[in-house]
Amino acid sequence: MEDRFKRPADADLTEAILARTSGSPCARMRELACDFADGALDAERRMLAQAHLDHCPGCAALVAALGASAAVLPRFAEADPGPWFTQQVLRATVWAPRPASRARAWWGKLMRRPRIALEAAYLGTLAGFAGFSLPPASLAKAWRVPAAVQPLAASARNLLHAEQRTAQAVAGIFVSPQGRPPGVVQRFLAKLRAWLGGGEPAEAPPRPSHQTHD
Amino acid sequence: MDLEQLIPWVRRGDELAWEAFVRRFQGRVFGLAYHYTGHVEDARDLAQEVFVRVYQNLASIPDGPGCLGWILRITRNACIDHLRRAKARPPLGDLAAETLFDLRSPEPDPETAHLEASRNAAVHRALGELTDLNREIILLKDIQGLSLDEIAAILEVPVGTVKSRSHRARLELAEKLVAVGMGG
Repeated sequence: MEDRFKRPADADLTEAILARTSGSPCARMRELACDFADGALDAERRMLAQAHLDHCPGCAALVAALGASAAVLPRFAEADPGPWFTQQVLRATVWAPRPASRARAWWGKLMRRPRIALEAAYLGTLAGFAGFSLPPASLAKAWRVPAAVQPLAASARNLLHAEQRTAQAVAGIFVSPQGRPPGVVQRFLAKLRAWLGGGEPAEAPPRPSHQTHD
Repeated sequence: MDLEQLIPWVRRGDELAWEAFVRRFQGRVFGLAYHYTGHVEDARDLAQEVFVRVYQNLASIPDGPGCLGWILRITRNACIDHLRRAKARPPLGDLAAETLFDLRSPEPDPETAHLEASRNAAVHRALGELTDLNREIILLKDIQGLSLDEIAAILEVPVGTVKSRSHRARLELAEKLVAVGMGG
């Protein structure tokens, strides 16, 4: 087989015959070129490829270039980053804070979001509206509280009642609507006016009472 | 100390082991980053960023054989992120590859040494002219020496695709070398 392919042949004649039969074998040689350069072809296929290369300068140049690049490329694997690089990395890592736990990292990330303050204010406002505008009874009707959180819900209800009572008391102190007796502040101011004016203090009005007068 | 011995110490947070780890891989990381970015300073910053990321995930460092692929994968991702961010930036002139990589010829004969140096430079230039995907395959396979499986995992493509792409990439590089007269 080897002798047959090593016989000198008329290149033009070979090309002419191949052109009228199988076409150019260079495409097939290209498919095998990498394996040929790597020495990964079996013996017979390698012999056939070598016979083609002996007569085809184009494919021979390609295979030579493949071999040259294979020899040079591994030299590009490492590069010297400079004398201070290791020290810089050590400074950036060993001195850096230890990695936080995943939950802490998540919380920190959430808190660092630029909109977190806006979102917190929005949620706070919403909660405030819900707490002040809805009476506790309607809240209780609207949501059926699970048994597990009943004590908590009861505490929240008591807190809301207490807050309402405080709000009523404060309203009684500062506000004196028409038809209702004045509050403590009004009585104190009346006494002060009378004292400053030098006259007898006006008769103290009766204490505010929630009883209705007909 | 070989890598199998070193990695448990690194995982435990030993500072001397970490220094040895950095010294062992910094050339690879910096070399790959330089090939992606083409800029020495960018590559240095990226390499440093890669080691900071590794340090923050010390417990995730795989055992010996997979370690290089793992660290090069982090490097590649950092480079891709960097290139996306810096897409609009015009390329800068930079140091020649000969000054960066150790391409000195062991040949004592000055003429042979010169020929070899010019051949190395031609390969480096041709590498820069490849399409992005082909260059990436050559960077990971022929330069960094990763296996087809590792490259397939990094690029998230099938192994067969990597293999066929690798052949095409090498042929493209060889054709460029032939065009500059390096075909034998």
